[in-house]
Amino acid sequence: MRIKARFFANFRDLFGAREREIDLGARRTVGDALDLLCDTVERRAEIFAAGGLRPHLVVMVNGVHINSLQGLDTGLSDGDTLAVFPFLVGG
Amino acid sequence: MSDFPVAGYHGRVLEIDLTAGTARPRPLVPETALDYLGGRGLATRILCDTIDPACDPLGPDNAAVIAASPLVGTNAPTAGRGHMAFKSPLTGLIGTSNSGGTWGAAFKATGYDVLVIKGASRSPVMIDIAPDHVEILPADHVWGKTTHETNDILAAGSEPGHPIRVLCIGPAGENLVRLAAVANDRDRVYGRCGPGAVWGSKKLKAVRVRGKEKIAIADKEKYQSGLDQALYLMKQAPITKRLMRELGTAGLIELINVISMLPHRNFRDCLHREEDVERISGETLARTLLDKAGSCYLCPIGCQRHTRVAGRDGKEETGEGPEYETTILMGPVCDIYDLPAITRANYRCNEYGIDTMSYGGTIACAMELFESGLLTTKDTGGLDLSFGSVAALEALVPLMARRQGIGGRLAEGSYRLAASCGRPELSMTVKKLEIPGYDPRASYTQALGYMTSPTGACHLRGGYAVSLAFFGGTKEIPRFSLLQSPIAIRNMQNTGILQDSLGVCRFTGFAFASDPWARMVSGVTGRDFSMARLEEIENRIATLERVFNLEAGATAEDDLLPARFAELPIVAEGRERRVTAEDQERMKRDYYRVRGWDERGRPTPETLRSLRIEGRGR
Repeated sequence: MRIKARFFANFRDLFGAREREIDLGARRTVGDALDLLCDTVERRAEIFAAGGLRPHLVVMVNGVHINSLQGLDTGLSDGDTLAVFPFLVGG
Repeated sequence: MSDFPVAGYHGRVLEIDLTAGTARPRPLVPETALDYLGGRGLATRILCDTIDPACDPLGPDNAAVIAASPLVGTNAPTAGRGHMAFKSPLTGLIGTSNSGGTWGAAFKATGYDVLVIKGASRSPVMIDIAPDHVEILPADHVWGKTTHETNDILAAGSEPGHPIRVLCIGPAGENLVRLAAVANDRDRVYGRCGPGAVWGSKKLKAVRVRGKEKIAIADKEKYQSGLDQALYLMKQAPITKRLMRELGTAGLIELINVISMLPHRNFRDCLHREEDVERISGETLARTLLDKAGSCYLCPIGCQRHTRVAGRDGKEETGEGPEYETTILMGPVCDIYDLPAITRANYRCNEYGIDTMSYGGTIACAMELFESGLLTTKDTGGLDLSFGSVAALEALVPLMARRQGIGGRLAEGSYRLAASCGRPELSMTVKKLEIPGYDPRASYTQALGYMTSPTGACHLRGGYAVSLAFFGGTKEIPRFSLLQSPIAIRNMQNTGILQDSLGVCRFTGFAFASDPWARMVSGVTGRDFSMARLEEIENRIATLERVFNLEAGATAEDDLLPARFAELPIVAEGRERRVTAEDQERMKRDYYRVRGWDERGRPTPETLRSLRIEGRGR
């Protein structure tokens, strides 16, 4: 299954791209996708912490925050878009 | 150091009567300080004691009240903000506005806690405040000048260790533009609700302050424990540690688009091409226009954007901004994605002294009226006011500031403009204040915030609910929950009231909640400001603002969104979303109950009694 991962703000530098298409193979969850994307120590450290996601992260599937879905266990389908942001505020 | 019984205060209110030409210190009443804290709370209480809410906001009976807080004068992070309360010439209700920079701290250093400006002068004046003397001086030599020119002239002689700080209006305030702002430190602004016009109606051009008066801290250990906690938490949260410094508030723009909350074309829809949104993103700003970040007084966050842009004549211009709100309301809401143009128009607004948010919202409304043929090139003097017109966006700032041509009608704000064309429903406002850059159909909690904000549609006074759905932590609630929104938005509003009353910045709220503030305030004052007591103060201030508004003529019917948000849906999370009249009524009723107000939104006698709101409360 192929999905598109989009990165915003400082995650563009961290992941070296604005977008990446990845092949999840037999794996199917948001957690799986992030696991695949975090293929360096630096990337892992920015995304994961103590069994979950670092607190200041916003991860969305097709524009819906994973907190409103099943968190890291949220299932993905072919062609889905995963968006990874650091939390920011506006004025 | 004063002998006021509560540490952290000087115990003095400076009352200026511009009609009589007098400046008199009055004692601050300790119970008032303890019940209303400082900043917004104290300024609102004193405003209510000074004016009749039914007065003409542009007449001599209105007043502008600016208050510091017991934390200002300490080294608490961001504790240098000022808060101004007045009757708003834009909304006719309470005007409450807040600004960072350094002026707030400099004002506290003059030896006064509160500045009250009443009456009206017959000719342009400025007020000069130092610990040993206060003077009302002629200001003809700066009348007509921009905020930048005025600041530079009047702050001449300022040096490190002996700062001179200036608060002033530009030509827009002088010409009673209803969305005129008051500026400090050149580009920091008391933006919303039109305080600039109030000053202009009093012929008050500037307030200059200097001094080195210090406050006492009663319990240094307790204060320090709160301070240590605050600083530690601000270093832990990436947003306060480095993200705001890297990207500023505009860093949020792309995320807001991903969640379908980014408004477009006078709030018709939230549809944008991604490549267009990228042209106005925080990263594009950082990459193409940013010179450096900057900070307000004692702030480690550093979200200020010091920028430079090519002027239309080819010469480079410099200034501050644009921030998130400016970028959205002068950008996609006007169907404009030209960041240099938005930046230039932002600079013009800062120089002429106009609220960038209400400016963008008013231009967008004018664009829709133009598109509908209700405004024509005859009205605009030949200017093409179609959506997307970058030339109009820039050209209309000076025209509005000087009330020239169509500028005279725009200077009244979008509601009066649309009403003059027979279509008030095309003004995207609540209580005549232009809606911020977050579409209410994408968050019912934010919608309720706009409806119930005391100042009109505002994300700062109405409660910042935008991030609650995905970064609320223990406060998190789903963004389309009608049931949970009333308590959630009441809590966000109260957090804002506390921050505004302590003279500290909203952005600290993304690193920590009220506990460090409770410790710092208790430590400074030597009194027990527990979280419960602070909550009581927050509720007191919120209800007092409501009382003022009711006496100024507001009703429950004003706590509603424009019809567009019930009639025209957007698509978010795969479904059509609108905020129906029933939804609004239901959330409103629950909100009133949570606030201790009756079904008409009037504070009940029990609420007034338990909050001990005297005077304005009958």
